[in-house]
Amino acid sequence: MASVPDAVALPKNAGALTALLRSFSWRELLHHPWRNLAAAAAVMLGVALAFSVHLINASALSEFSQAVRSVNGQPDLELRAVQGSFDEGIFEKVAAHPQVEVASPVLELASYASAGADRRIAVRVLGLDALVVARLAPALMPVPSADADRFALFTPGAVFLNPAARQSLPADTFQLQSGLQLVRVNVAGSVSTGGAAMAVMDIAAAQELFEKQGQLSRIDLQLKPGTDRASFLASLQLPPNIKGAEPGDAAQRVSNLSRAYRVNLTVLALVALFTGAFLVFSVLSLSVAKRAQQFALLGVLGLTGRQRLSLVLAESGLLGLVGSAAGVAVGTGLAALALRLLGGDLGGGYFSGVAPPLQWNGQAAIAYALLGTAAALVGGWWPARAAQKLPPAQTLKGLGAAPGKGRGHWLSLLLIALGTGMALLPPVLGIPLGAYAAVALLLIGGITALPWLIALLYDRLSPWVANRLLPMLAVERARRVRESAAVAVSGVVASLSLAVALTVMVASFRDSVTHWLDTVLPADLYVRTAPPSSTSGAGDTVYFTPDFTTAIAAVKGVNRVSTLRTTALSLDAAQPNVALIAREIGDAAQALPLVGDPVKVTEGHIPVYVSEAMVDLYGARPGMVFKPLLASFPSASNTSAVFVVAGVWRDYARQFGAIAMERRDFERLTGDTRVNDLAIWLEPNAVAADVEQAVRSLADRQSNAGGLIEFASTQQIRAISLKIFDRSFAVTYWLQGVAIAIGLFGVAASFSAQVLARRKEFGLLAHLGLTQRQILAVVAGEGAAWTLIGSVAGLALGLAVAVVLVHVVNPQSFHWTMDLVLPWARLLGLCAAVVLAGTVTAWLAGRAAAGKDAVLAVKEDW
Amino acid sequence: MTLAILNLAKRYGEATVFSHVSLDVAPGEFVAIVGDSGVGKSTLLNCMAGLDTWDEGSVTLQGTDLATLTDDQRALLRRKHVGFVFQAFHVLPHLDVAQNVALPLLLLGKPDEGRVQAMLDAVGLAGLGSRLPQQLSGGQLQRVAIARALVHRPSLLLADEPTGNLDPATATKVMDALMLQTREHGASLVLVTHSEAAAARADRILYLRSDGISA
Repeated sequence: MASVPDAVALPKNAGALTALLRSFSWRELLHHPWRNLAAAAAVMLGVALAFSVHLINASALSEFSQAVRSVNGQPDLELRAVQGSFDEGIFEKVAAHPQVEVASPVLELASYASAGADRRIAVRVLGLDALVVARLAPALMPVPSADADRFALFTPGAVFLNPAARQSLPADTFQLQSGLQLVRVNVAGSVSTGGAAMAVMDIAAAQELFEKQGQLSRIDLQLKPGTDRASFLASLQLPPNIKGAEPGDAAQRVSNLSRAYRVNLTVLALVALFTGAFLVFSVLSLSVAKRAQQFALLGVLGLTGRQRLSLVLAESGLLGLVGSAAGVAVGTGLAALALRLLGGDLGGGYFSGVAPPLQWNGQAAIAYALLGTAAALVGGWWPARAAQKLPPAQTLKGLGAAPGKGRGHWLSLLLIALGTGMALLPPVLGIPLGAYAAVALLLIGGITALPWLIALLYDRLSPWVANRLLPMLAVERARRVRESAAVAVSGVVASLSLAVALTVMVASFRDSVTHWLDTVLPADLYVRTAPPSSTSGAGDTVYFTPDFTTAIAAVKGVNRVSTLRTTALSLDAAQPNVALIAREIGDAAQALPLVGDPVKVTEGHIPVYVSEAMVDLYGARPGMVFKPLLASFPSASNTSAVFVVAGVWRDYARQFGAIAMERRDFERLTGDTRVNDLAIWLEPNAVAADVEQAVRSLADRQSNAGGLIEFASTQQIRAISLKIFDRSFAVTYWLQGVAIAIGLFGVAASFSAQVLARRKEFGLLAHLGLTQRQILAVVAGEGAAWTLIGSVAGLALGLAVAVVLVHVVNPQSFHWTMDLVLPWARLLGLCAAVVLAGTVTAWLAGRAAAGKDAVLAVKEDW
Repeated sequence: MTLAILNLAKRYGEATVFSHVSLDVAPGEFVAIVGDSGVGKSTLLNCMAGLDTWDEGSVTLQGTDLATLTDDQRALLRRKHVGFVFQAFHVLPHLDVAQNVALPLLLLGKPDEGRVQAMLDAVGLAGLGSRLPQQLSGGQLQRVAIARALVHRPSLLLADEPTGNLDPATATKVMDALMLQTREHGASLVLVTHSEAAAARADRILYLRSDGISA
């Protein structure tokens, strides 16, 4: 007779649940502490990862926004150049406007500081007027050090450092890079702005140091009360290369910059929580199966089905609550540790240089704890329903419930169809919400369709094995107890589909990046004087001169030199900067990784080639005239130049857009002949090291700047790029491993539960003359058959999810496309490993239950 | 002899379940074994089938000393020569009635649908072959068990309290079916029971005690 713990009593009313939790459930917990601990730990892991990612991102974003606010101050309006800088002549007109209270001119530049032997640090340099800045941006007010000259605020070569710069630069003097020159500056005091390293100096001194005489980056304005900003801007009659923006746009830009990355990271962390829910599901399924006769007995004693459901749900809720509470604590610790060790950047590069303090948020903690508990409750729902639905009398006799006809599969198919439809929806605020919902619906629809699929397959297979005992036993059990089969394989399906989806997505991305590198790196050797600066603005301060470029072309061993000029464009105040790349293009189909064919451009029009992000963010479609670019070229706006989108190219380096145009067009429109990067094709027998040495000597001769030149071969850039790629996606391999392990744990738990429930069946088979080996073969065969079905379904679902990730989530999140690549060998290897592991797991579970004592099980009362 | 047991003893540690048990069962003979609860009747039945081990004595089934066989060889011998009927029916819940009855034939590699149908007819379950166990009454389930136990024409049928879970009227019908089919097949029947009525129908009644077995 199934035994129920002595302490179990059945109070008649509301106290029943609590009493049962304290006795019946508590004893089960004590009996299997490690199993329950594993389920709580899985929830903890999911909550901890998601909560720590949230805390790190929120802390970094807050710190970054705060830094932006302290640098930008609190103006009512900013006037900014669309590209680079604008003529300061406009300042007088603006400052004299009757509705302007205060006007503060700013020259903002990105450069590098030489901090000793071969060490260069990125520094933001702000040139400003110390007499007015305090009224708009108090944090930028230079504070001279005690020993500084009383006119240090206006002294050329005197800089004031913020805390980050003070930490990494010498306290007295250092050199700032301008072009290929290093100019010495003296530290005269400090400013209190947060964020990355920054040096503040007098605006005239900055203009002189960086050869920006008469140029401004922006004018910060405080307007008189009651001024209407729109009509004020209209009254200024600004040239097209100057735009007015509200300070809120800057904060928005910071948020936009990293939003997709943050959301994707959070979703990835929530995958861990999803697998945690599965572990709760597996543990409770096993627990309910093992306690089936106890539940049945409680049912006979008067516990209603609804109460049994509530009891199991309460058990799962408690597991979730314990796991979530621990998860919030561990997540807080993880976030604090990560912020301390890595700063606020989680690999996306959006917050590098920021070292924010942890900003703990009680509401977020409660939200994530509730999410963890909800995930555990979802995981506990099906076992709870099983406990609710078990027929007490039949279960006590060991017959279980009569096999159902299987629920309607239409709901599952509807969910899959709905998921497919959701994948076609556009992003919401730059986030692929529809695609995420599609992935969830595909997974749920696919998993809930399993019983139907199993029946569909085995109903057809059944006649073929009717006369072969071992397959017949396995097949009949699978088709008649299809819900159990579905439970056993659902863990495999869920984990394998996630693993397959991530594998395909990473393989597709890597393959596309590899092909992209082949196209964008045609030369033998690349030369630059600063790290990539496409959107930071350093391209305007750190560059090669035309003379230097011409001289390199004459170096022995150099066959051909191609130049690249990169500047930052601010086409939309609420969006991050766009990179404008001026280079020799010629045959665009050869020079750029085009998506589609190039469009022919009418003679006299200027062809530009935009990255995919430009299509998404600015609507720059092939063949259309791209007017926003006109504002970037003050002279062009006077010459009625027409920029036509001649093609769209793939750019994995710049998420927020890039525009490539012929260098000659750029120079004609701007007169800017500076160069940021050089691509060198070597003579057939030239030695790269000799050419590097010759170029360095050339730089030394011209400006003693040999040490500022950086070289990289195509192979080096390729290897580094792919290494960074692999490092960035390493976390997905861990997630796959965790998901597969949890899936197999689910299989083990399900099989253990089922073989334990089938001990009498094995005993009977032993009585009928089946050897132990044959019984184990039945169990292992079922394991193989079920995990095989799970693998096929997991593979199919995973491929569907991969299509959504590759063709929807990535383009909508990061504005780049990729080609779908199916690494069949790896995918089939993954499936085979899962089938093998599932079979071995089933065999091990069967060994425990089909031993000699199984014979005695038939003596037990049913 | 179909079955010969000589001086059999079974112990669990220091505790002796039974000892000095000797008995022979002739072909076609019906032997009832009765005794107090816990005296080891079911254990003795399992020893007869080679499903349990013993500490002294020997069990010879169809002329083969079970002690000389491996577990697998005992399973093969049991498969061919022994049929079982239990108190709790023990039918596989996910197989239909016909599939349950056909199990021994499939085990022997001799599927025979006609034979299965004939057995179902014989035990009064004609037309119920496609039903699942959950759709049958206790008496019907035990008839399924009887049909399964005899479908492969074993020489020895071991029945452990086959009417213990049934009401008297159904129990009588089941015993009728069991005896009729056993006689028709010429099999020997060893019945372990508490039922005096069932035991009274046997050729011989043996009383099992911890120190031996006697008529």
